[in-house]
Amino acid sequence: MITWRFAAALLLVIAFGLAASPPAQAEDVTLNVWTHEADEDAKVAFRELAAKNLEAAHPGVHVKITWYEKNPLLAALKTALPAGQGPDVLYVEPDWTEYVEAGYLAPLDDLIDWNNIEPWARAVWTFNGKTYGVPQEAYTNEIYYNKDLLKKLGVELPANAQFTQSQFLDLVKKAKAAGITPIAQGVGDRPFPGAYILGEALLRKLGKEDYRKLWTGGLSFEDPRVVDVFKWTKELVDAGAYPKNFMTLKLGESHYYFYAKPGALMLPMGSWYTGRAFVPEDKGGQPKDFPLGVMQYPAMDGGACNQCKTSAVGASFAINSASKHKDIAAEFINAMSTPEMGKRWIETVYLQTGIKADVKSFSGPYAAYFTELMERQKGADYFIGGPRDLTRGECKDSFAQVMNSAFPGGLLSVDQAIKMMNAACFKG
Amino acid sequence: MTNFGPFWRTARQSPPPSALDARRASRTTLIVLLGPALVIYAAFMIYPVLRTFWNSVHVIKPHNVEAFVGLANFKELLGNDFIFWKAVGNTAIFAIVATIADVLGGLLLALALFSGAPFVRTLRLIWFTPVLMSYVVVGVIWVWIYDYDWGLANVILRSLGLGSLEQSWLGDPRTALWSVMVTHIWKWLGFNMIIFLAALYALPGDVLGAAELDNCGWFAKLVHIIIPMLRPTIVNLTVLSFIGKMMIFDLVWIMTGGGPLWSTETVSTYVYKRAFDWNTFDLGYPSAIAVLWFLIILAFIVALTRLLRQRDRLEF
Repeated sequence: MITWRFAAALLLVIAFGLAASPPAQAEDVTLNVWTHEADEDAKVAFRELAAKNLEAAHPGVHVKITWYEKNPLLAALKTALPAGQGPDVLYVEPDWTEYVEAGYLAPLDDLIDWNNIEPWARAVWTFNGKTYGVPQEAYTNEIYYNKDLLKKLGVELPANAQFTQSQFLDLVKKAKAAGITPIAQGVGDRPFPGAYILGEALLRKLGKEDYRKLWTGGLSFEDPRVVDVFKWTKELVDAGAYPKNFMTLKLGESHYYFYAKPGALMLPMGSWYTGRAFVPEDKGGQPKDFPLGVMQYPAMDGGACNQCKTSAVGASFAINSASKHKDIAAEFINAMSTPEMGKRWIETVYLQTGIKADVKSFSGPYAAYFTELMERQKGADYFIGGPRDLTRGECKDSFAQVMNSAFPGGLLSVDQAIKMMNAACFKG
Repeated sequence: MTNFGPFWRTARQSPPPSALDARRASRTTLIVLLGPALVIYAAFMIYPVLRTFWNSVHVIKPHNVEAFVGLANFKELLGNDFIFWKAVGNTAIFAIVATIADVLGGLLLALALFSGAPFVRTLRLIWFTPVLMSYVVVGVIWVWIYDYDWGLANVILRSLGLGSLEQSWLGDPRTALWSVMVTHIWKWLGFNMIIFLAALYALPGDVLGAAELDNCGWFAKLVHIIIPMLRPTIVNLTVLSFIGKMMIFDLVWIMTGGGPLWSTETVSTYVYKRAFDWNTFDLGYPSAIAVLWFLIILAFIVALTRLLRQRDRLEF
């Protein structure tokens, strides 16, 4: 009896509670956004500003942004989306193609104002004639270097800022002999930085078409040109190009290694490096007076495309195909993609973008850097996307374990590395 | 006649046994008391386990489309997946070596404290503290300790003039698994020590006293009296420790992510990678790995328990 009375009382309380709560207004909408990059203040401020702008323009709309680290975001999305749940707007990267194939992302062709997006950046997200993501962050692969250390070694950067492969090897040997770590790089927490030198060398040696074939299983890693590049990279490794703690050095630590302690000559990295480095020193940023330079990746002997360069899209946003608020979700993405916001992105995040931004000249403390970065883009023939965008499954895992880590870490011979990559990637 | 004295009086004043006997509670009471826990258990334990078995014989496509593939996932796993076999080897080494080290180490520490070593309280606190730390904290601390340039391990070696022995402990496939294992043992040694210590203090003092009266030496007392009497504790800790290590994930994930060259890949990290890192929504194949591993662990536990079961009960 007591149980039934208790249950009835509970029901009454619930019913009263429901009746007492204010009725939802017709326009009350909470837009859920799941995004990565909580550790980058400028990006947080950028996205929150867009949310505020949207809320101001649409009274009754509330944007709830949930910040994740990348791996937890992936795990959350992979369980939420198949269950028909998840956010309205989600952070995505171009190599997450499974979301498109699975139909979890809504086509955006009629929802987004594409006049504000660079066509090449839109192309990255176009599959079978439909566009599924809006690129926000764009970058190119560069070699950052310490101008003072290069001068100290008595080496002058060629006029086109590109060493030949033998000059680059000599530079590494010279730095090592002078007690300077030639290349600050670590793979402790990322599956790609260790392959910057090797990957860019392969792009220049093979040219864009064969480079794409290599990653999509159409070209053997036993191709003599590929073997040549691996042999050259092995020479760099054997010459002591990378730090001894290469295998455990984390991404942020490698940046600090480069510009602070103990200091290194070069740092191959996506140009998103500055998004992390151009923050106050007390937040781990690069010293204001650091002599940062940008050079091209070396030209390969007999390279099919030595002017080639990887350009890629990073942080992008998509709309959950199960969202009930696609129009408002698109409004939020549009609010992040206006020319004014594009300009703001460049000026506050210090990074290229897929948003059309009217930035004719640079000002501020990093103007010289941006001018030099733009200089390095002159005459470049871009290959859009990197190995991780093009590989999947075992090939992608082998890329991380072999080309990113074990080979540049000096754990594998050229033959072993070629054999392992071929077994995982070549479909011939 | 036996004198039941006070006990009898207390028993007579207590309510009749039937009123307190949980086995005689009404069905409604049982449902009310057990229901919430059973619902939670079914939702978060039984259903996921059954679902994993179901998934293992299917290919799971997006939008809950499932295609029955029979044992195809298992055939692929057993026949063509070299990473799985690498992970099995690593996990086996980890489970066997670390379990022995954990149990043996815990026992030795407990004996040291039991035998009245100086600073017992301080040592007990120091040895038990790592147990209270999360895997994330432990992992990060030990990644720093193992760092090639500024890590404590290499700094000590250099300061001892043993610079030639310095290593990239987590970066070399020959040392990575062992380095992670040392960290794991460091974290759990204190737990085993406390359990053994409790068991040691629970040993009957008259048996140990009688042995001393018979001039039984310390070592003989340990081998012939203490260890046999600790046997149930040893068996339980061994089995628990073994199960835990067969499922090791967090520490490996934080310290090495399974690298370099899959040298620290464990079955659990591989399941996670196949489920969330391989650009696929198919949970069928990772479920097959999980099911196979579950059956292997189960077989090991049954075998281990039978092997270590005490045939004759000790009487004391």
